[in-house]
Amino acid sequence: MSHHKLEVKDLHYSYPDGHKAVKGMSFCIHHGESVGIIGANGAGKSTLLMLLMGVLFPDQGEVCVGDVHVTKKTLPMIRQSLGMVFQDPDDQLFMNTVYDDVAFGPRNYKLDEKEVEKRVFNALELVGILHLKDRAPFKLSGGEKRAAAIASVLSMQPDILIMDEPTAALDPKSRRKVMQLLTSFKHTKVITSHDLDMIFEMCDRTIVIKNGEIAADGVTSEILVNAELMDDCGLEIPLSLQNCPVCGTEKV
Amino acid sequence: MANIMNSLYNMRLLDDLARQETVIHKLHPLMKLLTTVSYLTVVVSFGRYEIGGLLPLLLYPVIVFTLAELPVKPILLRILLVSPFIIGIGILNPFFDHQVYLLGGREISRGWITFLSILLKSGLTVTAALLLIATTGMDRLAGALRMLKIPRIFVLQLLLTYRYISVLMEEVARTLRAYSLRAPRQKGVHRSAWGSLAGQLILRTFDRAQRIYEAMCLRGFTGEYHTGGFKEIRVWDLSYFIGWVFFFAVARMYNIPMLIGSLITGVIR
Amino acid sequence: MHMADALISPLVGGTMWVATAGVAAYSIKKIQSEMDEKKIPLMGVMGAFIFASQMINFTIPATGSSGHIGGGLLLAILLGPYAGFLTIASVLTIQALFFADGGLLALGSNVFNMGFFSCFIAYPLIYKGFMGRGYTTKRIFFASILAAIIGLQMGAFGVVLETLFSGKTELPFGTFVLLMQPIHLAIGAVEGLVTAAVVTYIWNARPEILEGAASGRALSNVSIKKVAAGLIAITLITGVGLSWFASSNPDGLEWAMIKTAGTAELEAPDGLHQQLSDLQTKTAFLPDYSFKTPEDETELGAGEEEEAWPAISGGTSTSGIVGGGLTLALAVLVGVGISSLKRRKYGANS
Repeated sequence: MSHHKLEVKDLHYSYPDGHKAVKGMSFCIHHGESVGIIGANGAGKSTLLMLLMGVLFPDQGEVCVGDVHVTKKTLPMIRQSLGMVFQDPDDQLFMNTVYDDVAFGPRNYKLDEKEVEKRVFNALELVGILHLKDRAPFKLSGGEKRAAAIASVLSMQPDILIMDEPTAALDPKSRRKVMQLLTSFKHTKVITSHDLDMIFEMCDRTIVIKNGEIAADGVTSEILVNAELMDDCGLEIPLSLQNCPVCGTEKV
Repeated sequence: MANIMNSLYNMRLLDDLARQETVIHKLHPLMKLLTTVSYLTVVVSFGRYEIGGLLPLLLYPVIVFTLAELPVKPILLRILLVSPFIIGIGILNPFFDHQVYLLGGREISRGWITFLSILLKSGLTVTAALLLIATTGMDRLAGALRMLKIPRIFVLQLLLTYRYISVLMEEVARTLRAYSLRAPRQKGVHRSAWGSLAGQLILRTFDRAQRIYEAMCLRGFTGEYHTGGFKEIRVWDLSYFIGWVFFFAVARMYNIPMLIGSLITGVIR
Repeated sequence: MHMADALISPLVGGTMWVATAGVAAYSIKKIQSEMDEKKIPLMGVMGAFIFASQMINFTIPATGSSGHIGGGLLLAILLGPYAGFLTIASVLTIQALFFADGGLLALGSNVFNMGFFSCFIAYPLIYKGFMGRGYTTKRIFFASILAAIIGLQMGAFGVVLETLFSGKTELPFGTFVLLMQPIHLAIGAVEGLVTAAVVTYIWNARPEILEGAASGRALSNVSIKKVAAGLIAITLITGVGLSWFASSNPDGLEWAMIKTAGTAELEAPDGLHQQLSDLQTKTAFLPDYSFKTPEDETELGAGEEEEAWPAISGGTSTSGIVGGGLTLALAVLVGVGISSLKRRKYGANS
């Protein structure tokens, strides 16, 4: 299924104020892969996600989803196969009930209301919050909001899920639940996060970004233990891999 | 600030109430909206000296209240807090209208009659509006507005405003808390911080709007707002509306208390 | 300065609804033709901000008191007049629904008073006039204060006129004006000062926002012609209203009342009421001790008053009180009846 491939070729992007945020990135993500994108604040992660989703367009280079270039013309098609979960669910849940929110995407693609309902129910069931369908967003807990935001993307039946900090601001139990949920999906996943333990658990492959360039791209279990690389990029080894602070047992 | 926070709780309360499932809640939102508008029109169409004729119209809120199983206290509290403007304007009537009027053998200034009439009307109209939202909810009301062909842009914008009131209130509350913690003896925001405090909040609001816009676009938004299908208007919904309008019309045309009174006093004599 | 349903007549409320709906429809068309769908979430969220900003107490220097902002002018400056007007409309709609501020019938008037004057008069004519030569701190300061004061003065005057045309209060025109305008002068000054401070900050931090709102497409459209057309419309509305008000012949208002309320004021010549009162006078159950105040006839020419007054006056008052009491009792009884029935039903179910 080559059309699930996400390819980035020599991507360049500068903001109107001249700041060069992305300087020549290239990579290819294949069907079914789980890829973590990590980097210090301001390394260019968010800009990269915006470029992938076609919210921004590159100055140079291109983004391809399957064999389709991301351009203004192909956006509706691209956005059906790419689903993005925002960092702050309050930005993504802009309707007044969970149901209407999850139905927003399918309705925009002018599906008939029966199909919309089917998709909404499916998506809500997948994330396990069907019972919350008539709730107002302000009535949801942090974890429930996150689940609702994910459902609002799933109802579009995307092939690739792109997530910006899916575990940010969640309590440990909710974080665990979201991680289990994401692991259960068969979609191709691209996750950016500072939660390196989560990346370590969920992603087989990791791309490290530094100053708008790719500093490393490879197997997660090799990259995240590379103390020198991590330090150089403003990161550190995941806590679960660091030496035990109580007994001092070395893990790496 | 506490006051505004109360408003927020009040809003959430109404939102909760609107999610009940009683006979009234299940009625078609459009019919409830039209009934409310007819009611309001009839109430305010009464002359400024009218009190008696307005009384039968109490039946509408009483019935809706009970059938919809709404808690009387919090809503009544809201009504008692009617805009001070009304009382402020109304209370001046007795000062400007000294015409004396005999009521049951007692002299009463006509100004008090008009004041009472205004108070009564204000109570009835405020109740009717609150009952509408407490039995319908913003989302279903938005559907009714769409059925009335109110443009999508406006309906969507209305929904967005409603949605983000609580988010932004929390944001403003956080900022104010941070300010007051470092400005212990100030009652409000000092002039030197007016621009930067409110200005930064606005800039953050602009950024949020940008993110929301992106979230909408990523899910296929192109400037059109698609609601789901409309709820069907059943015969029962229609008869609810027609029944009330009929009652309102009768109450408007005939002074029912006067009729009852005439009959009773007539019989007694 | 929210107009309330209780103070407005269906005629005035309806007229203002039509005027507001017209301006809103025009604004929506403008935004749609600009293809600026990006503005929709911005309008929504800014509306919510105006709501939330009521929490901020701005301390007024040298007075010890504090004030809030209404936000009409600020929205026009940040979003442009069309989007600003629609945003105010949605804020006021939610206030009317959830907070019983104003009311649904008075909504048209409120949107007009608080939105139209700020967005379509004060903003393009005063604020933009100042800014035509480019932004400076000084110009922002004077333009904001002047525009806010004038916008609010017009709005307050709108409230006065609408209230008087509705004829629900006894306030003489002069007193009402003297009451409203000075208060709104102070409110306008605070609004202007805060608006100036905020706009200055945003101009320094993110000038592109102001330029975006004021740039070519959005604003060159606010031609003097359009504003003039708007002004003519208001003049027409107020003119027609005034002539009704001033007319010594009450037929105009009477006719409108029949049209809008579906009935003339209570003294309908036919109907059960009339028959009963005929019966009353004939059988003299209630001897005619109604007294007529001679001043009654001469006071104000408004037809509504003359019609409404006798309905409650005089001899019928006793029956009125008895009947009123009974009606109230009946209403309470119905409420109690329904809820006890409901409770019994629940009891049976559980």
